Amino acid sequence: MKKRFLRVFCIAVLCVVCFTLTACEQTAVLTSNKIEPTEKFFVNDYADIITEEDEQAIYQNGVHLNDSTTAQVVVVTVDTVGDEVISDYALEVGRNWGVGDKEKDNGIVILLAAEDRDVYIAVGYGLEGAMPDSKTGRILDEYGMPYFEADEFSTGLLKVYNAVYNEVLIEYGVSPDEDYVPLDQLDQGDGKKVLISWIILVVLVLLFVTVFGRRGFFFIGGPRPPFSSGGFGGFSGSGFSGRSSGGFGGFRGGGGGFGGGGAGRGF
Amino acid sequence: MKKKSIIILVVAIVAVIAIIGSVISSYNDFVEDYEEVQAASSAISTQLQRRADLIPNFVETVKGYTNYEQSTLTAVTEARSKVASASTVNEQEQASDELNRAISIWVNAVTEAYPELKANEQYRALQDELAGTENRIAVARKDYNEDAREYNTEIKRFPGKILASLFGFESVDYFEADAGASAVPEIDFD
Repeated sequence: MKKRFLRVFCIAVLCVVCFTLTACEQTAVLTSNKIEPTEKFFVNDYADIITEEDEQAIYQNGVHLNDSTTAQVVVVTVDTVGDEVISDYALEVGRNWGVGDKEKDNGIVILLAAEDRDVYIAVGYGLEGAMPDSKTGRILDEYGMPYFEADEFSTGLLKVYNAVYNEVLIEYGVSPDEDYVPLDQLDQGDGKKVLISWIILVVLVLLFVTVFGRRGFFFIGGPRPPFSSGGFGGFSGSGFSGRSSGGFGGFRGGGGGFGGGGAGRGF
Repeated sequence: MKKKSIIILVVAIVAVIAIIGSVISSYNDFVEDYEEVQAASSAISTQLQRRADLIPNFVETVKGYTNYEQSTLTAVTEARSKVASASTVNEQEQASDELNRAISIWVNAVTEAYPELKANEQYRALQDELAGTENRIAVARKDYNEDAREYNTEIKRFPGKILASLFGFESVDYFEADAGASAVPEIDFD
């Protein structure tokens, strides 16, 4: 009687061992999440450099953008990113927080490291078409750098946020702020500048046509390279429907599809 | 006596089912992980190609603006055609690194000769695109290594190791940073 029990017990133990061994293989995924999103989600001022007022303005725009387009633009400030490269840090925040819609991956992370004096905008797959790296860099140059260089981080971030916010609204066919001038029309106000850029343009066009044939026109047409790496095929223009997928009050991400697109500056 | 053998039989059947089940599930895990590695690998190729496509635009802009001597471009043109004609992943990697070095040397030379280029909007736009592509390549490589690590661990640890060798799953190579990778064209607008 005792012997039988022992035998059954042995086999049972063997079974359990077998199961646990295979179960062990599914080890936890590596996550190196350093910072968690705050309650406001769209504004995470860990370096404490944004004024209450600007924070409120950014948050309101973030909510509006999220509600009208499902796109999520998130501002994060930190003192330093440590040993890491700022672009990697921004990418990790985007992925770990799941910034953007789950299916559209339309998230953007604006990260400023105050002590490092670096700023980087990471763009999710779904917005790489609307926000190519060149445009992202240009937004930083136009709206951010003058303020960042003068240590006016709060104003700079607000301006950069508004520019990104409006550009994304335009991409989704939602009307932007009334006083916002789209980036591609920005030069037209300045007479002298326009003339010079026209001359350059004409010379370039001639050069391209002679040297390069038709291919040049793609490029002149604006910073929308034909070689952008996919991911924005479905929803240029007014591709959004009223699909507000719940989750109100306390915003969260669901996407996190970031592949290294974006641009950064040191100041 | 009869009861005893029935119990043993039941236990044995349960054990066999458990073992077969775990074999199937680990096999499927191997396949899944291997596919992920493959996908990550082709993501790298896509970005390498993107960079190779980007460079002519860049070069044309700079050329149109500066009339910089054609001869300095030979290395770039040659490296670029190598990327285009590469047939294996390794070849493409190698050619891409060569192209990377060639272009950074050229960019440095040009911006030294024409410092005013840095203020040119078109030039900055292309620099941003190039830097962004570099970053995408770096991210794609990192993601690949992550997937490769997961897959390799899976097929190397016990008892997966036995199954993996039984079914012929072999470990994949990691992507190692190229010595010239740090020579990426830097954006320095000051």
